[in-house]
Amino acid sequence: MDLFSSISLGFSVALDPFNILYCFVGVLLGTLVGVLPGIGPTATIAMLLPITFSLNAETALIMLAGIYYGAQYGGSTTAILINLPGESSAAVTAIDGYQMARQGRAGPALAAAAIGSFFAGSVATFLLAAFAPPLARAALNFGAPEYFSLIVLGLLVSIALAHGSILKALGMIVLGLLLGMVGQDIYTGTPRFTFGLRELFGGLNFVAVAVGVFGVAEILRNLENEHEREVGVKAVKNLWLTRDDIRRIIMPVLRGTGLGSILGILPGGGHILSAFASYSAEKRLSKNPEEFGKGAIEGVAGPESANNAAAQTSFIPLMTLGIPAHPVMALMIGAFILQGITPGPNVINEQPALFWGIIASMWIGNLLLVILNLPLVGLWVKMLSIPYRVLFPAIVLFACIGTFSINQNVYDIYAIAFFGIVGYLLIRFGCEPAPLLLGFVLGPLLEEHLRRAMIISRGDPMIFIERPISATLLAMALAAVIVAVLPSIRRKRAEVFVEED
Amino acid sequence: MALNASKNDLASGAIFVAFGAYFALEAMRYEFGTPFRMGPGFMPIVLGGILVALGIAVAAKGIGKPDEEAAPPWPWRGIALVLGTVLFFAATIRGLGFIPVVLISGFVTAMSSVKNNLVSALIISVGLCVLCLLIFVVGLGMIVPLVGPWLRF
Amino acid sequence: MKTILKTLAFGLAAGSSLVSVAAMAQDYPTQPVTIVVPFSAGGPTDTVTRLVAAAMSEELGQQVVVQNVGGAGGTLGAGQVAAAPNDGYTLLLHHIGMSTAPALYASLPYAPMEDFAPIGLVTEVPMTIVARKDFEPASLEDLIAYIKENGENITYANAGIGAASQLCGMLFMDALDTKMTEVPYQGTGPAMTDLLGGQIDMMCDQTTNTTSQIQAGEIKAYAVTTPSRIAVLPDVPTMAEGGVENFELAIWHGLYAPAGTDPAIIDRLSQALQAALADETVGNSFAELGTYPVPADLATPAALAEKLEGQIGLWAEVIAAAGVSAQ
Repeated sequence: MDLFSSISLGFSVALDPFNILYCFVGVLLGTLVGVLPGIGPTATIAMLLPITFSLNAETALIMLAGIYYGAQYGGSTTAILINLPGESSAAVTAIDGYQMARQGRAGPALAAAAIGSFFAGSVATFLLAAFAPPLARAALNFGAPEYFSLIVLGLLVSIALAHGSILKALGMIVLGLLLGMVGQDIYTGTPRFTFGLRELFGGLNFVAVAVGVFGVAEILRNLENEHEREVGVKAVKNLWLTRDDIRRIIMPVLRGTGLGSILGILPGGGHILSAFASYSAEKRLSKNPEEFGKGAIEGVAGPESANNAAAQTSFIPLMTLGIPAHPVMALMIGAFILQGITPGPNVINEQPALFWGIIASMWIGNLLLVILNLPLVGLWVKMLSIPYRVLFPAIVLFACIGTFSINQNVYDIYAIAFFGIVGYLLIRFGCEPAPLLLGFVLGPLLEEHLRRAMIISRGDPMIFIERPISATLLAMALAAVIVAVLPSIRRKRAEVFVEED
Repeated sequence: MALNASKNDLASGAIFVAFGAYFALEAMRYEFGTPFRMGPGFMPIVLGGILVALGIAVAAKGIGKPDEEAAPPWPWRGIALVLGTVLFFAATIRGLGFIPVVLISGFVTAMSSVKNNLVSALIISVGLCVLCLLIFVVGLGMIVPLVGPWLRF
Repeated sequence: MKTILKTLAFGLAAGSSLVSVAAMAQDYPTQPVTIVVPFSAGGPTDTVTRLVAAAMSEELGQQVVVQNVGGAGGTLGAGQVAAAPNDGYTLLLHHIGMSTAPALYASLPYAPMEDFAPIGLVTEVPMTIVARKDFEPASLEDLIAYIKENGENITYANAGIGAASQLCGMLFMDALDTKMTEVPYQGTGPAMTDLLGGQIDMMCDQTTNTTSQIQAGEIKAYAVTTPSRIAVLPDVPTMAEGGVENFELAIWHGLYAPAGTDPAIIDRLSQALQAALADETVGNSFAELGTYPVPADLATPAALAEKLEGQIGLWAEVIAAAGVSAQ
């Protein structure tokens, strides 16, 4: 079957009014649940999964895909409005998105996120339709050494996440990496840093850490001097993007889409890096890097596009090979199986209507998302007019209940309190929370791939240089460090010369 | 105070050193392993060491450069009540059940803002309780006893 | 809407007045029944549970809700059910891990034999020995000779401590008396990814995870671990055909209630389970996964109790011999 007839088959499935309706319901529910503090996309999908059981396979999976985009976007909304990311990519959005909200620019931030996501989603859906099988094959060339080198590169370029002291940012990344090691070692089963609690064997919960260092810490910051300072966010200036905003987001959206599309294909954790990589790239390329961290719209548009592109292309390994790239995809596999379809290399041939129907519905889902959310921007922004003294008890409670409902694990809630106070102290002393979260999600991957690569090479570290992809990535990492360090060396030399004069 | 250093840098450096030292020392108890089969202690010891070094560097950089801005006041009431509520929630959600815990937690957190009084905090907590009940229990089908075993007769 | 009302009723009931009523076995069940799966949503055990739960709902005339309590190799969820009220409204669906946990975990907060009332076996998922598609050996006999010759130069993937793939690997290496280099992964997904990409040599995993890849020719299957060949993979020989005797392994799943549950309730649940397993949809869905529901005479408390006891003894020996521990 050629691409054109495949796609038209897909649209004939996806444009069935019944399927459009469920796609819309999925997007709506996903947005509404994803927007609850403490509930990220993975939890949203786990909660809403049972709703799809009673539907037929195509409709169920179309609705599920809708829930996924809705949840992604809902999560970004919470990050922008109340500085509470539900997953790692939203932590990037929170950096500049929340600052924009505080300046009364929540509307443009949400609109930039929605438009960037839509564009990125459309491009990535096209990639998925046109090149899924060869892309998935290419991604399989990535083994443990390649992932290790990729993560090293990601960590080194992500120092750009900080707008203050680079040393402190490095410290936060390393602290995050260490926190990521809490739990049972997957190689030997040794429980590490668990205080003997079996509840901690699975590691610290991402949402608990994020709610602590972002949400609770921010609330404590705001309670510091309630009397003198207006807390929370300022009155809303405008809802829509200005002409200047649109000019500023075009390139970040394009670059984010490209970066995210490539990284999303890698099943071993590429999608995690997409938002961080895009943010770093935009900050490096910007003429005004000092604006980043203080409400730069590029810092919202780029990472949101990258994240959505990656979310889309991470379906490639799932749909063509049947392998899940991350927990959401694992849930999708469960949903496929419950519908009587075992995801694997044969789905594309045996169930073409389903395969192409889902792909077509992804684009429709993205379109519905944008149609649904642009009017909702006004509603979300209105919620900011709720007085802070009412809003923050709601945030605390929702975060506790949301986190608890995911695993019914009370230690996740104790972790919120612990990371709330630690995060508050660190932020008060001039550190920033985003690098910590990046380290936290990458720590386990870094260790896992390093140790696996060493087992496969039987203890020979040359494996990282002998394999071409890995060597290239490490060379890029080295170049990134040199580029980052050079300006300061030059500046110092300039200072020396000035003094000599 | 006549301290000629950045208190912020000293404090954050100290936190890094404390965490780094904890992870590295605790990891000494785990197997370090060989390059072929790295043990569970390898990464934490290496990273813990790096964090201690970074902590010292952060603190050292702050010496001779006092903070430009005066530190904001400590939100003691907020810290005690917000964190206290989170801990209370964790400790009692299984025992007291959803409704009492949400009511009490909402009330206490609201009281951590000086802008709330008893009446407004009460209104906020009842409102939140109804809202959470509708969203999580009714809407999302969360499985949790509404009134826990500690309160049953 | 009906679901919403039911949930609300359940909440209120769990909360207060109906507690005493719940003890009456003859009316059982008067409220939704929760089956705890000690693994995250979307995994093979979760899938099996959801299929069975849907069919049991119809049989019991009450909603059967699946709750995922993952963590610590399934011991967290199992521990939670062991401590739950024994009123028949909180059940556990666990796999072979129920019998390996005592050997893997030094301090287990429950005893599998004492703290649970077995209800019945659910399914026994066969395992397959698979390799990357360009792996040299052509047949099971070749494979065995190849492994004996190359030993630790062969990389063998497992999905983590206590995972089915690790248990199978232990038995396999024990049977051949040869060590291979074990490469642990965080779950079957990433392990399968690396096998597809040819980054590692071999794996042994449940048909639920391998069948579609084998059928598509993406990986090579050398053997199934059941006494006879299985329907979905008719060309794959059994271990015995390749000359490896006494090697049988299936990932069995069982349904349990907390100890002390009224025998009448256990009977009712056992009947519901048997009916669910006889259901055509369940049978077809299981077949898609490369497994089958157990016959009615195994979906009984006695059969599960016997299985559990035997397996606890078996794994205590194998795990001690392999020197594996989770803490």
